[in-house]
Amino acid sequence: MGTPASKRQAARKPDITGIALIPLAIFFVLALVFPFLPLGDRGAFLLQIGFFTLVAGIMALSWDILARSGQVSLAHAAFYGLGAYGYALLLKTGMAWPLAMPLAALGAGVISLVLGAVTMRLSGMYFAIATLAFTEVVRTVIQNLPESVAGGANGLLVPALLGGNSRGQYLLALALLALTAGVSLAVRTGRLHHAFAAIRQGEETARVLGVSTVRYKLAAFFISSFLAALAGVLYAGKTFFISPLDTFSLANSIAPLTTSIFGGLYTTLGPILGATVLRVAEEALHNVVKNGYLVVYGLVLMLSILWLPRGLMGLFRRGKHGGDV
Amino acid sequence: MTAFQGQELIIENLAAGYGKIQVLWDVSVRVGPGEFVAMIGANGAGKTTTLRAVSGVVRPTGGSIRLGGHDITRATPTQIVSLGLGHVPEGRELFGLMTVRENLELGAAMRPEARAKQAQTLDHVYSLFPRLAERAGQLAGTLSGGEQQMVAVGRALMGRPSVLVVDEPSLGLSPLMTQTVFGALKAVHAEGVSVLLVEQNVGLSLKLAQRAYVLENGEVVKEGTGEALLADPGVREAYLAL
Repeated sequence: MGTPASKRQAARKPDITGIALIPLAIFFVLALVFPFLPLGDRGAFLLQIGFFTLVAGIMALSWDILARSGQVSLAHAAFYGLGAYGYALLLKTGMAWPLAMPLAALGAGVISLVLGAVTMRLSGMYFAIATLAFTEVVRTVIQNLPESVAGGANGLLVPALLGGNSRGQYLLALALLALTAGVSLAVRTGRLHHAFAAIRQGEETARVLGVSTVRYKLAAFFISSFLAALAGVLYAGKTFFISPLDTFSLANSIAPLTTSIFGGLYTTLGPILGATVLRVAEEALHNVVKNGYLVVYGLVLMLSILWLPRGLMGLFRRGKHGGDV
Repeated sequence: MTAFQGQELIIENLAAGYGKIQVLWDVSVRVGPGEFVAMIGANGAGKTTTLRAVSGVVRPTGGSIRLGGHDITRATPTQIVSLGLGHVPEGRELFGLMTVRENLELGAAMRPEARAKQAQTLDHVYSLFPRLAERAGQLAGTLSGGEQQMVAVGRALMGRPSVLVVDEPSLGLSPLMTQTVFGALKAVHAEGVSVLLVEQNVGLSLKLAQRAYVLENGEVVKEGTGEALLADPGVREAYLAL
């Protein structure tokens, strides 16, 4: 009995305390109030930025959940696109949207298991390349389906979500981001956290410790792609037009990655904050530096990665280490 | 007192390898319940491969492995851990970006009966290694080699194993730290855990172990009590340079 029991007790508590959840709660309260503010004549525009910020948050956070299991994927555009196309195709069969939305996500989740099984033994660069190739394969398949089915290269029209009600769409996106955050927290506090962290840091050691790596890696794929597909559904229902090139664009795979790194990897709040700051910064820069705003944007991103290796979350937890919230 | 229940580990005529390269030809090792057994041998003799086969990471091509009455020759690592095997891997293999406490918790996370007793076992590990209680919140990667080895042993203990296999714990440690780690293994054994220790530090292992096996080119060439092997002229010449 070296140290007092009370001290050990404190040391054993999980890192997620009520305090760590407060910033997250504040974010959601602000995001909920936002569409009801008097936004003036630019309200519709601001609400649209808000909507796509939420979608970007779902994409980044769902990507992060997969990354926690050591799988740095470039297949997020594929999951996003599968969600968008699955949703559009299901609606074409006459299905009601509240049913088509989860079914499209489920479909993307199941397809992601195939990718997960194929890439099971790959890691690092090889894994990333394989997932990138997967995205191209899915895009090519969809593009080459008969035009009467999926519209080919011309794309598909999708009925507007909630009859085009912007505020309703925004609130739906917010609800889905809340779902994603809930899943992320559940992963963080449950057994998946230990399994994912172990696989990420040393797969063979994880195995000798009894972690069923196959099962957990597939679980990560399924969860991540299910959520990313929901983001794809939101996108399809908002823009009411999807095409293979836009939906499966590499940018949709890269953005979640940069957003998570910028916000703070392996955290729940980080990717959400990252999405918010980056989207707002992008729009603001677009206003100020009309042409070449992407150059400035890239520069800001580079500098912040240099100075904030732990992302925005590093600002909150300066000096502390361990336990990703 | 959270005593451990040692079980029997029986390796019979084990053959295994990597792809076309056969490493183990005929390895038979028995660790009785609560026994401390060492396996010694030169680099490349097959010591680590034997342990990896026991853990299920390497598939045996022949022979059998039994743990506490269960045939684990073809079992998956997850099943083997759930049957009570603890593995302290070569080179420690800690999760460097996690805290000491998280590393320890991980050791208990995958076994329901270990998870149920996690708090209790954690206290126990801290009393075995008081140093780890002091460093609970520190990143494992920032510890000294000896402390890391303590975490690796503690992490395996968190799974409440009945048999602990330990791969080369003295690797990269100072003689003084090696003594400390070996002392800890002795304490673990005193709790009732069966221990199979693989080591290149032959002198120290033979002093500590009740029985030992000498492995050469994938075969067991000698076995006996630690003392008998320490006195064996062949062993002294080959491994102790005496």
